Amino acid sequence: MPDLEINMIVNGRAVTKPARPHMRLLDYLREELNLTGTKEGCGAGECGSCSVIVDGKLMKSCLMPIAKANGATIETIESLASNGDLNVLQKAFQKTGASQCGYCIPGMVMAATSVLRENPFADLEEIREGLGGNLCRCTGYSKIFEAVEIARDVNNGALPLTALDAPEAGTSYIGNNVHRLDAPGKVTGALRYAGDMVMPGMLHMQVLRSPRAHARILSIDTSAAEAMPGVACVITAANVPGEDGFGVFVHDQPVMARDRVRYIGEAVAAIAAQDLATAMAARDTIKVEYEDLPAVFDPEEAMKEGAPILHDYAGDNIVKHIPIRRGDVEIGFAEADLIVEQTYSTQAVEHAYLEPEAGLAYVDHDGVVTILSPSQNITHHRHMLAKIIDKPIHKVRFIMSPVGGGFGGKEDMIYQGMLALAAMKTGQPVRLVFTREESIVSTAKRHPARITCKMGLKNDGRITAATFQMISDGGAYAMSTEGVMRKAAILSCGPYAIENVKIDTYGVYTNNTPSGAFRTFGAMQAQFATESHLDICAEKLGLDPFEIRRINMMGEGATTHTRQKLGSVSLGAVLEAAEQASGWEAGPPVSRGAQRNDLGKDGNRQPCTLGARIRSPTKPLHEEVA
Amino acid sequence: MLTCDQYLMPDTLGKALAQWAGAPPGSRLVAGATDTLPWARQGRAGDVHVPHLIDVSKVAELQGYEISGGRVRLGAGLVLQRFLDDETLKAHLPCMPCCAVWFADDQIREQATLAGNIVNASPAADGTPPMIAMNGTIELARLEDGEITRRTLPLTQFVTGPGATMRGDDEIVTAVECDSMTGYGGSFEKVGQRRSLVIATVCTACLVKPSPDKMSFQDVRLAIGGIGPVPLRLTHIEDFLKNRPVTREALRQASHMIDGLINSRTRRAYRRSVLSGFIERALEDALADCGVVILSDSFKEAVNA
Repeated sequence: MPDLEINMIVNGRAVTKPARPHMRLLDYLREELNLTGTKEGCGAGECGSCSVIVDGKLMKSCLMPIAKANGATIETIESLASNGDLNVLQKAFQKTGASQCGYCIPGMVMAATSVLRENPFADLEEIREGLGGNLCRCTGYSKIFEAVEIARDVNNGALPLTALDAPEAGTSYIGNNVHRLDAPGKVTGALRYAGDMVMPGMLHMQVLRSPRAHARILSIDTSAAEAMPGVACVITAANVPGEDGFGVFVHDQPVMARDRVRYIGEAVAAIAAQDLATAMAARDTIKVEYEDLPAVFDPEEAMKEGAPILHDYAGDNIVKHIPIRRGDVEIGFAEADLIVEQTYSTQAVEHAYLEPEAGLAYVDHDGVVTILSPSQNITHHRHMLAKIIDKPIHKVRFIMSPVGGGFGGKEDMIYQGMLALAAMKTGQPVRLVFTREESIVSTAKRHPARITCKMGLKNDGRITAATFQMISDGGAYAMSTEGVMRKAAILSCGPYAIENVKIDTYGVYTNNTPSGAFRTFGAMQAQFATESHLDICAEKLGLDPFEIRRINMMGEGATTHTRQKLGSVSLGAVLEAAEQASGWEAGPPVSRGAQRNDLGKDGNRQPCTLGARIRSPTKPLHEEVA
Repeated sequence: MLTCDQYLMPDTLGKALAQWAGAPPGSRLVAGATDTLPWARQGRAGDVHVPHLIDVSKVAELQGYEISGGRVRLGAGLVLQRFLDDETLKAHLPCMPCCAVWFADDQIREQATLAGNIVNASPAADGTPPMIAMNGTIELARLEDGEITRRTLPLTQFVTGPGATMRGDDEIVTAVECDSMTGYGGSFEKVGQRRSLVIATVCTACLVKPSPDKMSFQDVRLAIGGIGPVPLRLTHIEDFLKNRPVTREALRQASHMIDGLINSRTRRAYRRSVLSGFIERALEDALADCGVVILSDSFKEAVNA
């Protein structure tokens, strides 16, 4: 594999350095030039975390073989802040708080730079279009668009430079906008996430994952991988010295599959090698003999007698059942004028944070096993890892690297154990960076839920009783399922005063990808069912959807279904604000339709269109009407 | 991850053809490479090693475009962003700016080629329906006894199925050619889930030439993608509209002439319900693009009375 001779101008400096022929511009910038402000989010041209400017044009460096960039002039995020001073655009990002996790921000700033170069007077539609190839998951696009508009106006003199200054905090930081302290590191690309970190002598890890949903492991043959030049170590469950198990509530998951795989994508073995290509090649030589076991993919099936059992401690496959009882639902239903029963289902959702999982582990000079990763729960991980690797707690250290988006998806210790074992075995630093596909295949998802909701109501809209049964697919390992079931149960019947409730939430083991923590921690699924249900009830009773909620909402001093006394309640104010802001047309849902007048108003989201730059002012592509 | 033994960037067609003819089995041709890199990933082709990757994006003969004799010859290296920023192309190919603006995003359009989009032969390709509508042909070159020989095929014959074309193993696509459509109004419609980086569920390209009095259709071109294994030219609708007055009723009738058109593997009912409204809107937009006002039926009656 002869190297390519590469000559480029990068950020104003001539660069001459050979490249492996398969390298992408992204790899070259990050690995050869250590310009890690350019991020990899997907590797497939979908997310724009890797956007750079090539010969004046914004390009996705993950889609550009390095040979294409030979001879080109490249600008990366590192070129924008000269002498460390943020430029106008970067200051505008700081001003509007357009940098939450920060992982997409270098790409966003480069895309915005390109948009304003192409048209210094670009309007909002053109800005949106120009940033269309860049995804964000936590900042939200509004703040980013707002920042680009401020930068545009400052550049054009329509706004004074002071428009970029930090807002006055007044007498308190609470309730006032302030500049984020970490924004400069994010808008300049200086902040290093785990996948950006390197150490001398660092090895690269690759993980062999299960292609089977449920199987017994008969044998693992790692001999060919062990013998491969450049491979430093191969590890399997056999290399775990201590108590092999982690999890948020139940320690049911081994660092790597032990005797048995329970879902497609479960780690079976890991390799640390001198470079990524060697680690990949070694991974592909490992031979695993499986014997398929009966598998179950539906939680209701898994709860039945005779279903395949995933974990010996839970013979009924139930991770957690949370029951809540209040009053007597039979009496409540007997009082009702109307009973409505519906079943709702929700699907698994991937967190899709733009930073795929990554970690770097090493054993320091004092023999402390150190793991650097974007873990959302380092103290708990530290305690679990100490037991797994059989070390006293003071010999285990977790360093939390910047989290490039988490949303609960980085609460589980699914790869840190492998890194620790490899670092201990080799005595060298070891880094693992997930691909986007690996992240999607192997990490926890939002619990898919099937919810049956039954409500009894009086004709005036008052709820007399509610039963709520939620069966959630917990997947192959428990992870945060217990907590998610708890919160789903607590919030299941919403902020409504109902005297008689019967609530049951179940988290169930199946051979699907594990479910875990995800924003709202189970409340979203529950609220989806309850709020949809209330709309249906409103329709049946001829009530306005806001009205039915006002009739039933808990007031100050109310006691919740779990006996919490509420000191203050803002629901009434929230409903009023939502009603006004949405231009809501009062009346039951059935009366709405052709005459609705709430769309197409200021503050309403317009339908998505394209072509701002090709649409002449006299030639609208479409009249956007409701 | 895509790995290769050699990454070759020939600068002439002769070199490219020679390298391609001499490449070990399993080698691949790329232009923009924006389809090939995502293809070589887990969940699709997985990690792929190819002996030679031959990148034709710097081949001199494939650059730029020429217009002569009522035809536009687009070099195979032409990237999609040029349809948005080249004034000559915009004037001759009025449906292409809309097509390009819905294609991937600004960044990928700087690298991805129209020819690559066609040769990739996705049933949902955005670039193929407009080219079919404009009587597109594709030019292929190969080496025969050391000499470059070329052949030209109509696009409707060239694309034979999902991922399948008539390109021979030793051939390289050198150009895509189509009618110059000056005097036509153009449009392109696409249904997808967001505005950028979206694969079409259905896409359609439409071109309309109005009569000199702008009251009737003189010529109509209509093609659709995403509803079967290959994009389709809807000549029966074109023929129906030709010489007909531009009325709301004519558009409505034309848009319902879709029996038997949907041959997709999935979401047939959805595509059927989308298609009618879609054809109508494509016609409307193409008419608006050339400044034609659609007569309402009541207006037509008033004129006839």
